[in-house]
Amino acid sequence: MKLTIERSALLKALSHVQSVVEKRNTIPILSNVQIEAADGQLALTATDLDLAIVEHTGADIAQDGATTVPAHTLHDIVRKLPDGAQVGLSLNDRTLTLNAGRSRFTLACLPREDFPVMSAGELPHRFTLPAPQMKRLIDKTRFAISTEETRYYLNGIYLHVAEGEKGSTLRAVATDGHRLAQVEVALPDGAAGMPGIIIPRKTVQEIRKHLDEFEGEIGIELSDTKILFRFAHAVVTSKLIDGTFPDYSRVIPEGNDRLLKISCEEFSEAVDRVSTISSDKSRSVKLALETDKIMLSVTSPENGTATEELAADYSAEAMEIGFNSRYLLDILDQVEGDEVEARLADSASPTVMRDGADESALYVLMPMRV
Amino acid sequence: MDDGKSGRIHLLDEQTVNQIAAGEVVERPASAVKELVENALDAGAHHIDVVLREGGKALISVTDDGIGMSPEELGMAVERHATSKLRSAEDLNAIGTLGFRGEALPSIGSVSRLSITSRAKGADEAWALKVDAGAKTGPLPAALSAGTRIEVRDLFYATPARLKFLKADRTEQSNALDIIKRLAMAHPHVAFSLSDGDRVLFRAERALSTGDDAQKARLGDILGRAFTDNAVAVDAVRDDLRLKGFAGLPTYSRGNAQQQYLFVNGRPVKDRLLVGAVRGAYADFLARDRHPVLVLFLELDPHAVDVNVHPAKAEVRFRDQGLVRGLIVSGLRHALGAAGHRASTSVSQAALGAARPATSPVTRPAYGEKSALGGGFHDAARSWQAPTSPMPEQSRFDPETIPVSARHEPVTQEQEQAAQREDYPLGTARGQLHETYIMAQNADGIVIVDQHAAHERLVYERMKASLEKSGVARQMLLLPDVVELDPDAASRVLARAEEFAELGLVLEPFGDGAVVVREVPALLGKVDSVRLVRDLADDLAELDQGLTLKERLEEVCATMACHGSVRAGRRLTLDEMNALLREMEATPHSGQCNHGRPTYVELKLRDVERLFGRR
Repeated sequence: MKLTIERSALLKALSHVQSVVEKRNTIPILSNVQIEAADGQLALTATDLDLAIVEHTGADIAQDGATTVPAHTLHDIVRKLPDGAQVGLSLNDRTLTLNAGRSRFTLACLPREDFPVMSAGELPHRFTLPAPQMKRLIDKTRFAISTEETRYYLNGIYLHVAEGEKGSTLRAVATDGHRLAQVEVALPDGAAGMPGIIIPRKTVQEIRKHLDEFEGEIGIELSDTKILFRFAHAVVTSKLIDGTFPDYSRVIPEGNDRLLKISCEEFSEAVDRVSTISSDKSRSVKLALETDKIMLSVTSPENGTATEELAADYSAEAMEIGFNSRYLLDILDQVEGDEVEARLADSASPTVMRDGADESALYVLMPMRV
Repeated sequence: MDDGKSGRIHLLDEQTVNQIAAGEVVERPASAVKELVENALDAGAHHIDVVLREGGKALISVTDDGIGMSPEELGMAVERHATSKLRSAEDLNAIGTLGFRGEALPSIGSVSRLSITSRAKGADEAWALKVDAGAKTGPLPAALSAGTRIEVRDLFYATPARLKFLKADRTEQSNALDIIKRLAMAHPHVAFSLSDGDRVLFRAERALSTGDDAQKARLGDILGRAFTDNAVAVDAVRDDLRLKGFAGLPTYSRGNAQQQYLFVNGRPVKDRLLVGAVRGAYADFLARDRHPVLVLFLELDPHAVDVNVHPAKAEVRFRDQGLVRGLIVSGLRHALGAAGHRASTSVSQAALGAARPATSPVTRPAYGEKSALGGGFHDAARSWQAPTSPMPEQSRFDPETIPVSARHEPVTQEQEQAAQREDYPLGTARGQLHETYIMAQNADGIVIVDQHAAHERLVYERMKASLEKSGVARQMLLLPDVVELDPDAASRVLARAEEFAELGLVLEPFGDGAVVVREVPALLGKVDSVRLVRDLADDLAELDQGLTLKERLEEVCATMACHGSVRAGRRLTLDEMNALLREMEATPHSGQCNHGRPTYVELKLRDVERLFGRR
């Protein structure tokens, strides 16, 4: 193998694939990235056995070949090379030599034959989704993904076909047991028969990285156990979480009849301000709702108290409710419109929140007892 | 009747019955010693002398100066269920003596060569009775000035199977010694001695003083002076229960729980209730693998406790377990709280030991004597006990008392004067060494404070106080967690649901053998509630109280306290140091950090003088 490639092209491809590689591995070759030169293109592959990514980039290839080298080391080297440098890679026996300007590195290789290949298997359901829609599905839900390992089936985004009043939609749901986020987009052609799947958190993060640079249609292929995302230059294959997502629709209350409408920006800033005073990890904020205003208050036995009054559109019976301010801010961050709508029942029941300008997203937040 | 191997049902002869009973009552020489010494105590003895040969296998001899027995009583004494301590079944409900079953002597007699010599009080002659593997001879006239002497020779010779299971002489001897020590702790007004025929292994003189002093002196004899110097007196009363005794300071802790003694109405017992209660009371001050040393005497109405549970009476049942546990926990907490910021003298002794010059010109054996040093410290420490209430709330907003603010105002005249006063227990700060240790001078010594450990404890205590005041905020769960347990564990956990709810964990029953978690303490964040509940269930099974939850909350507080406190390496001004010292004096439990290590060491001036050979 012998090739030359522009530093920035190599860096971009490497930075996509290296984040899949775990920092510590018990199987040495999992720390490596596979480099393959063929058909006038350079293919970089990385995997953690649950998730694999293959990224293609153009290169000036003098001789085809393939090997594997430590991913993080290679990434760090290329990152530190000067901008615009031409990087030469050549494989000789068991080492890969990297030349750039006057720098020269020799990296130990492991044989590419040992590199685990993740086979996608049969992927019967195929459809395409515009990148902005995919981005929406991820961005509006991923903050609610659980990190707690015991309920592994909550460690991802649940993607499935939902039957609503306005026909079928493709819906993403995530919850950590404290709050829930749900967002939907129009059902793409070909997705109708797909099973409900749980995309793991790490895969969601990797996909999201590509969406910043990619504008077109994403090709999605999936089965019960695996999913594949096809971008212009990269293919991401991932296992799915093998579990049953809970029947989340039960926890979304229907009958909450106390409607609060408030400026999202003002609300968010006020919550952030008053929660400064709370010193402990629970970070609770109390909301007192009265006609056309709400009063935010935080009490810390150590630091003191904070209150702030906000004008709001509220005409139901006065009530008080406590929330984790962090959770509240997470939801308010997702609201793009000027106004946020909250439907409440009482201080011990879940509250439903929506973006005033966006019907397709919905959030459920469980209150705190303070 | 004797057809077939299994034969017909028939009554066992008395000798066999006694040998079977012996299996339960007399397990090893130590248990025979226990029975005999308890008899002596019940007979009102003032001196009890025990001799053991070959760990008690060859000879156990117990001599007392009690009321003795008449020849008629002697004959009765070795009959099964013959006792002077119980008249009717009613008496069983209110047992005031150590023995009562009437099983000990016949049981011992059935497996050994037993001889009893006794002279009843006021009688002119003594009588002796011999029992050889159950066969009685006598009583015959004998010579003895007063009291009773019981000799047990060749224990278990009649039951060779049991004989084989005895341990080495030394082990049996130390078991017996342990028994005598336990009994001696509870009876300071009785002199005890134990010898192996040649050497005296243990001797405790009769205490001449009364009350706590006698008790303390006796405990000092047995557990060592270091214990009494580093223990606080416990005295708590609730309803008809009275708890007395001595609890070791957290800084005087051990690697195992062996030195924890509980006496119920003078009877040494081993009870898991004690283990749990002690762990609960010390949870704040000790790492999990450290155990305090303590001796507790529980006195209660004999009706409220059943001692007739175990043949050797090692276990008891309380009518109201919760009350007893509550009393022990609150009694210990209160006593430790009153100890305030005391750290153990063993700490300062260790420091002095390390400071002693290697090439000491004159060796002074008296130098390290614990009593002089410890006593002085102890007295001084007692006199500091007044400020035990937590910091008043408003002081947190009072800039004068903020311990380590970054104020750099010029020192006013008034402050300077205050700083010169040396009647503070922890003294006045003189400087900071290595940006880690505060050196302070008090009326009669030097105080060295570890600034990080001390401040960490202060922050922790403050956090705990505020947690207690404001209650634990609870995050309700959108998706409640169902925890599968076995039905027993589930009902145990649910029985305490109210207690857990106060700590932020709300549980409800969910079918048979499962509970559903509705709310969790917000402080714990996204907690693995399944494991938490399982751990609580295990705690309840093992210790009869759910410590895990409280420990988890305190762990979070402790971590936050660690991050929120002044680190080693931070330079402090004199004002800051003095503020820290004053707050330590005002905060309970500031003598040790969250892991039981001392936060400060005090060196007495006279000890420092000794270091330099001035004394």
